[in-house]
Amino acid sequence: MSSETTSSNENAGGDVSVDPSPQKSFRQLVLRGARDAISLPSITICLSLVGVGGLARDIGYPMMAAVLSSALMWAGPAQVLLFGSVAAGAAFSAIAIAILFSSLRFLPMTISIVPLLNNPKRPLWQLLLAAHLVSITNWVEGMKRLPNMPSEERFAYFCGFGTMVLLAGTISSGVGYFLIGAFPPSLAAALLFTTPLFFSLNIIAAIRVWPDLLPVVFAIILTPIATWLVGKDYDLVAAGLVGGTAAYVIERQYRKRRLKSLGREPSV
Amino acid sequence: MDIFNFASLQPLTGAFWPYLVVIVIGFLPTEIWRTLGVFLGKGLNEDSEIFQWVRMIAAGLVTAVVAKLLLSPNGALATLPLWGRLAAIVIGVGVMLFFKRSILLGLFAGEVAIIMIGALT
Repeated sequence: MSSETTSSNENAGGDVSVDPSPQKSFRQLVLRGARDAISLPSITICLSLVGVGGLARDIGYPMMAAVLSSALMWAGPAQVLLFGSVAAGAAFSAIAIAILFSSLRFLPMTISIVPLLNNPKRPLWQLLLAAHLVSITNWVEGMKRLPNMPSEERFAYFCGFGTMVLLAGTISSGVGYFLIGAFPPSLAAALLFTTPLFFSLNIIAAIRVWPDLLPVVFAIILTPIATWLVGKDYDLVAAGLVGGTAAYVIERQYRKRRLKSLGREPSV
Repeated sequence: MDIFNFASLQPLTGAFWPYLVVIVIGFLPTEIWRTLGVFLGKGLNEDSEIFQWVRMIAAGLVTAVVAKLLLSPNGALATLPLWGRLAAIVIGVGVMLFFKRSILLGLFAGEVAIIMIGALT
């Protein structure tokens, strides 16, 4: 966990002890989430989506098409894929299928964050709206922050946090539409580098116990092998599924053994 | 396997065409997974085995996306050599771990590294 997050958690803990009323209002929680997002997550999402505006302009699309792609798709790599493929003159059915496969990660990401948000039970439309906020940034931050919070506070907090990051990214892709031509090439490369760099830092900072490291290491090793074995359309899916499942199998063995050694104590 | 020719709608839709592309070709194929995820995740327990498995697959898929962005990038980033991209990641992660997992410092170090590598190569 980053030092920044630790300090904000301590602040949150401080609020609880000072605040006389135990129940925080929905609005308070949304605002707290939004406030926590106005720092690194929003700044880096701005840096990584600013390039999308330039890609949309390159193919003669209006600025609002770039903005709409951020607000609706909310998936940087897929947006780059969309505008880049249209620029290359690819068939629309091929682009749609490529985006479908490259976005498969949202299925396990959403499945794994919904149980954290669904307690107490929420109406379906609220969960669908919250699920729209799922992106790599929001998912990594959510999986890091939500388990430490009281379960009834999580939904509002995640909505505030996620919406703030989405707004920042959406605005920056509109700004980037006008800005990107002004960048020298070396700075353009640095901007494109923000996405993989920030994600790498987040993924590694979120690792607290060694089993968390397993899917990361497996996917790094398997991705180039999968590209070579099954081609560039299915490599992400293959590496993620195989690497994640292998990590789960090993993690379960470790968990069982630990439970067994704990089982000798009478309390368990 | 085109059921109908999507591109044939272009002359009919005029100025609305780019938005139609973003919605049909971009939005629908991404949002379908989030929607499906809500239906499948709704009944799941935080402590269940399936939850653990899906969480590991999600972490694997996220890492795979990052690995692919680094290994086969597009645009201006592709002009930098592979070793340069990997070295900048290692420097960023190293600085972050050294300074008590400060993502801000790691990000700064990685960006400085990639700009310098870009200038030197």
